[in-house]
Amino acid sequence: MKRLVATTTALAMLALPTGALAQAMAKPGQAVSMVLLPKFLGISVFDQAHNGAVEAAKELQNPTELQFLGPTPENSVAGQIEIVTNAATQGVNAIMISNNSGDQIVPAVKAAHDKGMTVVTWDSPIPSAEGEDVFVAQVDFAETGKVMADMTLDILGADGGEFAILSASPDASNQNAWIAAMEEVLKDPKYAKLKQVDLVYGNDQSEESYNQALALVDKHPDLKLIMAPTTVGIAAASKAMLDEGLCDKVKVSGLGLPSEMVAYTMNGCAPQFALWSFTDLGYLTYYTAYMLATGAMKAEEGQQFNAGRMGDYTITKDPTRDAGLRVLMGPFSVYDKSNVEAAAK
Amino acid sequence: MTALARLKSWEGLLLALLIVIVAANLANSPYYFGIGNIVNLFQLSIEKIIVALMMTLVIVNAEIDLSVASVMGLAACMMAFLFQLGVPLPLGILAGLAAGAVAGLINGFWVAYVGLPSLAVTLAGLIGFRGVARILVEDRSIGNYPGWFNVMGQQSVLGPLTLSIVVFIILFAVVAVVLHRSAVGRLVYVIGNNQLAARYSGVRVARLKLALFAASGTVAALAGILYAARLGSVRGDLAQGFELDIITIVLLGGVSIFGGSGSIAGVGLSILVILNLRNGMGLANVTGNTQTSVIGALLIASVLVPNMAQMITNKWRGRET
Repeated sequence: MKRLVATTTALAMLALPTGALAQAMAKPGQAVSMVLLPKFLGISVFDQAHNGAVEAAKELQNPTELQFLGPTPENSVAGQIEIVTNAATQGVNAIMISNNSGDQIVPAVKAAHDKGMTVVTWDSPIPSAEGEDVFVAQVDFAETGKVMADMTLDILGADGGEFAILSASPDASNQNAWIAAMEEVLKDPKYAKLKQVDLVYGNDQSEESYNQALALVDKHPDLKLIMAPTTVGIAAASKAMLDEGLCDKVKVSGLGLPSEMVAYTMNGCAPQFALWSFTDLGYLTYYTAYMLATGAMKAEEGQQFNAGRMGDYTITKDPTRDAGLRVLMGPFSVYDKSNVEAAAK
Repeated sequence: MTALARLKSWEGLLLALLIVIVAANLANSPYYFGIGNIVNLFQLSIEKIIVALMMTLVIVNAEIDLSVASVMGLAACMMAFLFQLGVPLPLGILAGLAAGAVAGLINGFWVAYVGLPSLAVTLAGLIGFRGVARILVEDRSIGNYPGWFNVMGQQSVLGPLTLSIVVFIILFAVVAVVLHRSAVGRLVYVIGNNQLAARYSGVRVARLKLALFAASGTVAALAGILYAARLGSVRGDLAQGFELDIITIVLLGGVSIFGGSGSIAGVGLSILVILNLRNGMGLANVTGNTQTSVIGALLIASVLVPNMAQMITNKWRGRET
């Protein structure tokens, strides 16, 4: 069904260290108070991650209920800081953060970490890795850049053309890393005909992203494609192009949810997009945080562990940041007319 | 004022509400009552409550300053912009404060000397000053300040108190004295009640208004820089949207939006009510959307209850005569 990008898996294999620590297994049934903190509430991929975490919590028979707490979108930075600070006050054992505030969250996270809290980031890491135990990466960030570049080339064809990027917020470290990776990949002569003309931010707000997409079309008359590496941005841009009857002229691609994108893919506005399973990401993140908090494993390079139905993983250095550790989930699924309907169900 | 009248006053009502909230928090969470949590409770909203103190003076004076959050952003961005150019941070901080003072003077000039309504002038400021802030920083996030700057925003300087909290306490005392114990304070009320009468009695209305707006801008700038120190980095949207929370605190404190009435005690109580409510909900793991709704409901009630009480009293009296 899904076309899997094999290189992601290959990269994960390469990362396996030699002579590493013994594989850690989770010890179910321990009471660990845990908080899952999304960037903000009301985004369906975060609800899916929550479902995955709940599934893992049941499997691990943690008697303490998982708290799913998030700020409102307009209060995201201050709100995330407040939730981390309150969690530290309450003596929460582990917090799982999809960081939306760059390094602005570091002071709060460091204080919590100093009090003995396990801090696992997922979806979006802390850029400096300060105060963070490990980052559960959905896919390899360099791979994301390649997938974005490949989809652009696929859609625009050999003649290429102008494209612009519509991202989330300027401080979203995941999007920033993907965009940087894409720009790196584009240096390859294979992509010489692709010309990036702009980079704008819709702050993961539908209306703002919608307006930014329309502004891009106005600003760049020769624009052929909008690349939106955010589920909110890609849906808003697709809707904008559809509403204005621009789908023939300007295509949309990026990272999207099949259920939100199915209509746009079938009518040709967004012929191709990619994503990973957020349910799996929530599940793996919960396993990682639970095992770190219970002492079943340590946040150090080379630590191998078993994450239930998802199999075996290894903690490695994060090659996409100057510091920090990473657990790499992967792989990517690329969706088009052939598979999007099945995935949307 | 008799004891009964005091109890019936707005401050009395807030005090009762505060007692209920604190009691609920104590009953609900074992983590609530601790020095660490009480400090956090203030620290997490400290910039807003600092600005709310100056806003009290502005609103009692029958004006409003909608531009405060944008001025916070402007000051922090000015500082960050200069720092990135290699200007020493202390100079950058001074430039940020100066930017806030100038922004306040611009607001004050249009309101006091040209006679435009402050709602319109500071709405323009809200948009304009934020625009300048965004131009300075663009879509970047500027961090990596010297260690002392982060310490200034994040660590305690006096016992368990952070610098921001110390600033708040001092400013609270200053505003209390100015508003309730000084000639200037009496003028603020007089002008707030009846500007025309004040002017005909020889009060230099314009000069006082200009000074108030300049002070409001400067304090907002200071709060913006303290916020930057707490976060450790600055982006163009720093403090965006804070103006509504700030004005909310002042109005819940019983300060009339039409000017001329209200007390610093009321605003102090309002600060305690909102902060304790937020903290209590946070410790009870109430999520962001619900918190916003609860505080919204509290505000609606705070506007409705006194007005409805007034209406009912009036009707009752009407029936008697």
